[in-house]
Amino acid sequence: MESPSYSEIQETLHNAQTDGLPKLVVTVLRNIMLEPIEPYLSHLAYTNGFAPEIRFGQFDNILQEASNAASDLWSTAPDVILVFSKLEALSPAIAFRFSSLSPEEVKAELDRVGHFVDSTLASLREHTQATILWHGFETPVNPALGIYDGQVEHGQSNSIRRLNDALRHSLSATKTAYYVDLDRCVAQLGADKFYDPRYWHIGRAPYSREALRTIADENWKFVRASKGLVKKCLVLDCDNVLWGGIVGEDGLKGIRLSQDYPGSPFYEFQQEVLSLYKRGVIIALCSKNNEGDVWEVFRDFPDMVLKEEHIATAQINWDDKPTNIQRIAADLNIGLDSLVFMDDSDFEVAFVRDALPEVTVIHLPPERAVRNRDVLAGCGLFDTVTLSDEDRRRGAMYKAEARRKKLKATTDPRTYLKSLGMEVDVRFVDETALPRVAQLTQRTNQFNLTTKRYSEADVSSIASNPNGDVLYLRLKDSLGDYGIVGMAVLRHETSHSEIDTFLMSCRVIGRGVEDVFLTACLETAMKKGAPNVLGKYIKTKKNGLVADFYRRNGFEIIDETAETVEYAYALSQPLPATPEYMHAVKFEELEQLT
Amino acid sequence: MKQRVKAVMSQVFGIPQDSIGDDASPEVIKNWDSVKHLNLVLTLEEEFDVAFTDEQIIELMSYQVIVEKLEEISASAA
Repeated sequence: MESPSYSEIQETLHNAQTDGLPKLVVTVLRNIMLEPIEPYLSHLAYTNGFAPEIRFGQFDNILQEASNAASDLWSTAPDVILVFSKLEALSPAIAFRFSSLSPEEVKAELDRVGHFVDSTLASLREHTQATILWHGFETPVNPALGIYDGQVEHGQSNSIRRLNDALRHSLSATKTAYYVDLDRCVAQLGADKFYDPRYWHIGRAPYSREALRTIADENWKFVRASKGLVKKCLVLDCDNVLWGGIVGEDGLKGIRLSQDYPGSPFYEFQQEVLSLYKRGVIIALCSKNNEGDVWEVFRDFPDMVLKEEHIATAQINWDDKPTNIQRIAADLNIGLDSLVFMDDSDFEVAFVRDALPEVTVIHLPPERAVRNRDVLAGCGLFDTVTLSDEDRRRGAMYKAEARRKKLKATTDPRTYLKSLGMEVDVRFVDETALPRVAQLTQRTNQFNLTTKRYSEADVSSIASNPNGDVLYLRLKDSLGDYGIVGMAVLRHETSHSEIDTFLMSCRVIGRGVEDVFLTACLETAMKKGAPNVLGKYIKTKKNGLVADFYRRNGFEIIDETAETVEYAYALSQPLPATPEYMHAVKFEELEQLT
Repeated sequence: MKQRVKAVMSQVFGIPQDSIGDDASPEVIKNWDSVKHLNLVLTLEEEFDVAFTDEQIIELMSYQVIVEKLEEISASAA
């Protein structure tokens, strides 16, 4: 993907229409001059559908501003906090005078920096739930002890590495705080292009424009993940993408796919696809071919890395690709904007971009196939900040879903549902479920009544409040374990309980599980003693599916506007019965988060 | 070239191009601060495909000097 130039970015921002877009407030704490990163961050935010507001803390005032909740800097609550604490400014001793420090002095200095990190993080967490992105300390290109530095445990490079380990450790102990690896950004551009020493000396601005662009891109991967903009499915063309050549013309023996050149770029590309599959990305095929030819490669070609079991769904035919991609989205029950499509053909790329602008399209020109693996690995579109068991199993789940669909087509619905032997387990959120439960609020668009996005810190703070409950639902059936597929947030008051959030993963709906979960929420409210439960439907582009959900379950409309419908359920009436086709429903109160 | 310099200044300072006179300097243009100066220098470097030295960057504190330096550089390149 070509990056826009600085002037193009300025032009876009100058003409930006941000009315009606959700706000994205990014607050930057720093000990260096960093203002020139602003257009890059704003541009990423704007082109992804946000109205950006980038605020800068005072120069070299990180800890003071982190701890001063009354500071003007926090007058608008940030969504994201970027911390740039450059070692050259934070600890000139380690950065510039390392060779003249005694081991004790080094240790004291490392402790001081560690303490600074911990105090800053603790202060920030006291008054903001924002996602914190802390930029790691860069390892020097020319370390203090020259070539000797790399040989010893207590050289400058290793000392800085230890600082970063401690930083990572502190961040992972803090909710929604993440480590941004600046060394990787440096490696990507090369140090000569990354640093601009002229402005480091004139104005303490160390980074070149290209560096700031790279850093902003890296930051955006985190924002994407925390805002639920992560892509879910990779749709791949086959010829000249999964292998070199055209199987329909060159035949099984003629295609290029092997561990040696010229088949190796495709072999490595497939390894990367497989690795995404293992991280929970759904893999689909969209290819103009005879279907039999493609599956023959999958079954019989010796160096094929991907197998049929990895492919959730495939459209292999001679219809146009936009139509086929729409079929894939429908098949998987996910939105077009959750898809990334990769193809080698200019024509197909342009056609899909034009017909389906929601789909992210990446062109893999055949003459540059050697780069394909890096393009896929570096795109960041599928990156997440956590990796749950559900993620690791997702590919297999979607494959199982395809089998379920086949079974469903052949039997009566009730008999079918009974044959699934569904086991539902509803619990209050605990530490282990927290990441997945928060992730569900960020990823779920369709079966989601209010579409509120919560971070782990948010969920944890609601659950630990005596007037809040966070429930989640696990589902298992004879074909597989889905893991955690539903969550709900309840807020209790004496007059009523309110369902603040109610959502389910799309792949489990339409079999009564959502109704059972709603009953569990009503039961929870009942135990709190309020006579009524309120529920809200907030309309979005994607959640039409649940417009009628509360009404179908015995709620009455009490207020209605174009965007929102409010419902109430009187707890004096009996709770809905559990469908008889459920094999088991468990609802147990565990130790709640405190 | 003079018009291109003014176009860059107009973009960086966010003011109309015709409001930039030949006397433009931090005294005349209010928001010509150190951050804007950095942006100005970097944008000029991109626009004219040149690289200033740190000493030149410090000197580029007026429209007149900017034009002078750019002319000097292009003359020595020719």
